[in-house]
Amino acid sequence: MTRSINKWALLALLVVLAMMHGSPARAEDELMGLQEIVDQANPGATLVLKPGTYQGPVVVNKPLTIRTEGEGNVELINRSQLPALSIDADGTTVAGLHITDGMVKETPTVLVRGHRAVLNGLYIRTGGDGIAVRDADEGLVTNTTIDWAAEGVRLADKGNGVDVFNGHRWRFMDNTIRDVHDGIYMENSDDTRVTGNRIERSRYGIHCMYTNRTVIERNEGSLNVTGAMVMTARQVSVIGNSFSKQSENVNSQGILLYDTHDSVLADNTVDGNRVGLYVELSTGNRLENNEVRYNFVGIQLLDSSSNSIAHNRFTGNVADAQARSSEDNRIIENYWDNFRGIDANGDGNSDISYAINPLFQELTKKRPAFQLFFQSPGMVFLEGLYQSDRDRWTTDAAPLMTPPMSENQIGDAEGRTLTGIAGLVLLGCTGTLFFWMRRRMS
Amino acid sequence: MKDMKYVAIREMNIGFRNPWAYSFMALFAVFMLSLLIIHTQGGVSGFSGTSGTMLNLALYLLPLMALMLGSFSLTGEKEEGNWELLSTYPLGTWPFLAGKYIGLSAVLLSIVAFGFGLSGSAGWLLGSGFDFLTYKQLLGFSIGLSLFYLGIAMLIGTLARNRWQALTIAVGVWFFTVIAWPSLLIAMLGMMPYLWIKPAITTLTFLNPAELTRLFTVVKLGGGSTLGPEYYKWMIWIRSPWGTPVFAGVMLVWIGAALAAAYGLWERGRGRG
Repeated sequence: MTRSINKWALLALLVVLAMMHGSPARAEDELMGLQEIVDQANPGATLVLKPGTYQGPVVVNKPLTIRTEGEGNVELINRSQLPALSIDADGTTVAGLHITDGMVKETPTVLVRGHRAVLNGLYIRTGGDGIAVRDADEGLVTNTTIDWAAEGVRLADKGNGVDVFNGHRWRFMDNTIRDVHDGIYMENSDDTRVTGNRIERSRYGIHCMYTNRTVIERNEGSLNVTGAMVMTARQVSVIGNSFSKQSENVNSQGILLYDTHDSVLADNTVDGNRVGLYVELSTGNRLENNEVRYNFVGIQLLDSSSNSIAHNRFTGNVADAQARSSEDNRIIENYWDNFRGIDANGDGNSDISYAINPLFQELTKKRPAFQLFFQSPGMVFLEGLYQSDRDRWTTDAAPLMTPPMSENQIGDAEGRTLTGIAGLVLLGCTGTLFFWMRRRMS
Repeated sequence: MKDMKYVAIREMNIGFRNPWAYSFMALFAVFMLSLLIIHTQGGVSGFSGTSGTMLNLALYLLPLMALMLGSFSLTGEKEEGNWELLSTYPLGTWPFLAGKYIGLSAVLLSIVAFGFGLSGSAGWLLGSGFDFLTYKQLLGFSIGLSLFYLGIAMLIGTLARNRWQALTIAVGVWFFTVIAWPSLLIAMLGMMPYLWIKPAITTLTFLNPAELTRLFTVVKLGGGSTLGPEYYKWMIWIRSPWGTPVFAGVMLVWIGAALAAAYGLWERGRGRG
């Protein structure tokens, strides 16, 4: 009893002292486990961690604010199978911590089960899921970096950067996620906002499953298998994102919509992917003002209807579009650089329509081995011959004659000069050869 | 060796005097340039719309050029009686054919080099040129394609008795391997059991130099994923350091086999004559 009173008195003293210094409850001992510091704090208190290395795992079961003194010098190391940091209480904030949790495991590095959690400026190195949210709502993750820590793990065996299950109204802003399975995975989670994140070298950048009203804005992704994958979702907004260089994998896409309805996909840039925009079994979506360039296939439509595809710009794609069983879409006023239209009345739209030949799609669906003929001269020739049922093809009724958006990117000049010089050298050589041969002849 | 060199230089002399060579060169250069001008937006890098079209242009033109130049050169010797004259000299069939092949390659490759030189430098000056790696890859592709088809041309020139025959066979081979290839394969393999399709297609691809070179280049340009999951291993393999040497090896075997067949036929003809 006296002991406990003593303890309380000591803690009160500590808090008073800390308050006088302007910062409450200091972590006195570097070797001390973080759990003890957390256990000693009062609910609602702010813990400011001194620089140093702390030992995990830690369970936060009362509302706390955990901050660090200064930047980037407080490290939490976890070598157990448990999550490095579990947040069970509502209204907890954790900021600035570096969490190293390199063991490959099923459990996540940060597990959030409390509502209104705020994770700010963390640096997480994980061997499982970076941040897992389970049955908790209205949290916020910002300015956090998540990296995969373990060596030699296959992509398929890695954990997700952020994994949300049954967590609604979350916000993920300005985070950087690299080398994980899915960058941000959301399942059964509605009204989340994913904005300004950067995701690289992962499987899917942003992955929605069974979500409604998700907002995916201004994110950037590169070298992932797929940038944004929206599956079985409704009223999702995918706006102003940029996904590039996702062409290495045979299933790569810039943005994929599968069984997605009544969603908006606008102002995105998909550059250098295998398929720029991939739409399957989806209805009632609006795809507008997207910049689709240098992809192997610009847009692929499969079994989709009642979508509106307008004012997009398709340039430099190997094949503009591929479509199958996608008849009743409203496709109008897109710019296709492979299409040469005729505009007799001068309204800027072509008077002849641009129909997407379904032959290759149908052929490769039945026998994938024929994929080998993608854009081969013979295949292009065969497509030219195949014109049956043309009125049922997916068709842009009035394609634009000139691109709708200003050109915002001219490829880098690097390597161009070298090509120019090589060209001149080749010209010089052949010129000399011709001259020399001519002289020999005369 | 000396004979071979003599034949090669003679072939180059004839080749560079041949108006056909210059019209082919003009055709190739003009097409390269116009494609570059059509696709002036941005530059050309990797497997994109422009490099895809360039690839197809080369696939249309180069095999036809190689087949015609090569087979006409050989049948010309027969028609004009040069061969009868040459057979009175102590000139072996092998130095003759190999020399022909080398001389014709020099002519054809300078046509290709001129076309590429022009589009490379013009693209640079117009500010919409190729990225160097892509340029190198496309040039390599064109050279490979020319050499492959020149090998076939030697065989055609041996088989055909005159230029008309050579033209017929050359156009036939060109149409069959470049244009009609997918249609034929799709029609033929469509009847086969599903599991046979991929092995059959793989084997047949190795028999068609146009497809072989095209696929190699598409993968090298980074477009391997367009071939789909069925060919994932190919993609990995071609991109490995072994890809290029093995492709060069296949090419050598191919051309060697074509020349050897031509040699055999030519020798037989000589025996009869």
